Amino acid sequence: MLEIKNLHVKLEDEDKAILKGVDLVIPKGEVHAIMGPNGSGKSTLAYVIAGRDGYTVTDGDILWNGESILEMEPDERAAKGVFLAFQYPLELPGVATLTFLRTAANSVLKKRGLKEMTTPEFLKHVRAEAAKLGVTDEMLKRPLNVGFSGGEKKRMEILQMSVLAPTLAVLDETDSGLDIDAMRVVAQGVNALRGPERSMLLITHYQRLLDYIVPDKVHVMARGRILKTGPKELALELERTGYAGFVGETA
Amino acid sequence: MATIEKTRAEEALAANFAGVADKLPGGRAVAEARSSAIGTFGALGLPHRRIEEWKYSDLRNVLKDALPPAVGSAGAVSEAAIDTSLRQLARLDAIRIVFVDGVHRPELSEAIETRGIEVTPLAQALGKPGVGLMHDDLPGHAAVVALNTAYVTDGAVIKVSQGAKLARPVLLVFARTAAGSLVTTRNVISVAADAEATLIEAHVALASPKGQDNALTEITVGEGARVTHAKVVLSGAEAQHLGTWLVKVGQSASYRGFQATAETGFTRNTSFLTYTGEDAKADISGVFLARGNEHVDTTLVIDHAVPACESRELFKGVLDGRGRGVFQGKVIVRPDAQKSDGKQMAQALMLSEEAEFDSKPELEIFADDVVCGHGSTCAELDEDLLFYMRARGIDRETARALLIESFIAEATEKVEHEGLREALQALVIGSLQRGKV
Ligand SMILES: Nc1ncnc2c1ncn2[C@@H]1O[C@H](COP(=O)(O)OP(=O)(O)OP(=O)(O)O)[C@@H](O)[C@H]1O
Ligand SMILES: [Mg+2]
Repeated sequence: MLEIKNLHVKLEDEDKAILKGVDLVIPKGEVHAIMGPNGSGKSTLAYVIAGRDGYTVTDGDILWNGESILEMEPDERAAKGVFLAFQYPLELPGVATLTFLRTAANSVLKKRGLKEMTTPEFLKHVRAEAAKLGVTDEMLKRPLNVGFSGGEKKRMEILQMSVLAPTLAVLDETDSGLDIDAMRVVAQGVNALRGPERSMLLITHYQRLLDYIVPDKVHVMARGRILKTGPKELALELERTGYAGFVGETA
Repeated sequence: MATIEKTRAEEALAANFAGVADKLPGGRAVAEARSSAIGTFGALGLPHRRIEEWKYSDLRNVLKDALPPAVGSAGAVSEAAIDTSLRQLARLDAIRIVFVDGVHRPELSEAIETRGIEVTPLAQALGKPGVGLMHDDLPGHAAVVALNTAYVTDGAVIKVSQGAKLARPVLLVFARTAAGSLVTTRNVISVAADAEATLIEAHVALASPKGQDNALTEITVGEGARVTHAKVVLSGAEAQHLGTWLVKVGQSASYRGFQATAETGFTRNTSFLTYTGEDAKADISGVFLARGNEHVDTTLVIDHAVPACESRELFKGVLDGRGRGVFQGKVIVRPDAQKSDGKQMAQALMLSEEAEFDSKPELEIFADDVVCGHGSTCAELDEDLLFYMRARGIDRETARALLIESFIAEATEKVEHEGLREALQALVIGSLQRGKV
């Protein structure tokens, strides 16, 4: 279970508060969506969950399965099952995708106290997952994300998620830039990971994704806080009304 | 001209010669060339920072003491010791020719039975008619060459005959045992028309981290020949290496040079490359690692003396601690060298605040129909990329290592010979891990 309690975050180098008291609980087995206007703090929340530098938590806490993760390094969090699919995946010149996947998978297995995979085992596993996502062998050989299209990069994020099998997956706008078919493929990848042990957080601007990945709850984030929580129908309502009712409101 | 007071090292370098002159190889003509060279050196002194080519590597300042020249054979050295010093290069399947403290060691070298190649130790060759010591007037470099001419003890004279395609690389090992000595070597290599060869020089230390090398290689690449020429300097934290390459590339030939330098106190590698025939291609690339107080200077002078040749240079440096990297790349395009195509890039990865990188590209273009470009970058490890990798479970050390490896790979990938490329990559990565750069 993910519990975010009264989370206040500011930039480390600047006196700029971005998250101003976020409260959010995602029980095991549930998928929640966060929607909200640009600049409301959604990606910041995702980064703080994953452990990126550059932010200071001034108040509150993030608990994963009852344990605070705020003091943990990003790789320790990954070992605990945390995964962030980036809104803008980075390019890694000179590091073949397969090499990267293998290094990541083995690091995580090792930290989880599991046996590392042999090369043939690993290849079989990756190829099977890649095939489901339409990631070709040729792409696996290329340096990670270098020269990949926007949609290909997003698929690669989902492939990494499938390979690392996280228990808490945060997907930051994984649907943006995807064509309809790719969205379906990515949604299948995400749905395949849904299970009683997993919690997921989808950050999206489009309710369309939620037709494919049906969330248990939808939250509206604006100005650094969760201002409204509702059932999946809330997304449809937002589609009609926009965020006018949220952005104008004074704290 | 105002006379500059001689440094202690300059005085010793000039004075030590008399004590060793009669132990140095070569006949009368060679002896004369040597004593004339020591005279030239005496007049020039060590190059210093007011000489443009030595702006960042002031030898008067760096060479505080001149170590006594090594003459004569060192004691027994085991093959295992050589292997250890060569690290990953030891496993390369190559024709190995070993010099210890500047003296050829047949018992550690492979007897040459390969057709198409002839290898003679320079000390023997110098006795024969027609073999002398090149004494070209290289701009800014005369003093270093003069010291080499004066003190050279040995090296390899290699002739690859026309059309010969050598299946195995030739690995010239220059190992140093003697603590605190000056080792001076020279290779004279000619690869005849249409031949193919891979030649490697490894300058390594067996025991002491201290020593001075003056190592020169002349290489002539015949028409249509294809040559890969690599150099590894792994000489010790207190060692000083002065290297000179003098490369002549013939018509339609291909020359690929690569220089890897690590774990050496001070290194200056100066390469002069001149095209002697049209349509030739040359690439000189490399990787240098400097940490602690290490200093690595790569200086290139690429002379497009004739039309329609292509030159490429890519150097990548990883600098940590107070390590310093210097890159000086000069490309000259002579007035009739139309259709010349030159590209040059030097990049440094800075792992510490105190590290320093100086890059000075220079284009001297006298022809109009040419394509020439150069660039230089200096960057730290990308924190966003590190975070991306760490968010996927990769620990900081491994993530850093992967980023550094990928940075270097672009240069090492230039080495076409697969076994050599892999050995060089492993050697560089191994060195990075040793020093925990
Ligand atoms: N490193 C930073 N430096 C300066 N401002 C920042 C930084 N990180 C975030 N911000 C600011 O914090 C606010 C929240 O940004 P964030 O990226 O979290 O928004 P978002 O909800 O993900 O927006 P979008 O829907 O456009 O992706 C924005 O105003 C942004 O400009
Ligand atoms: Mg965002």
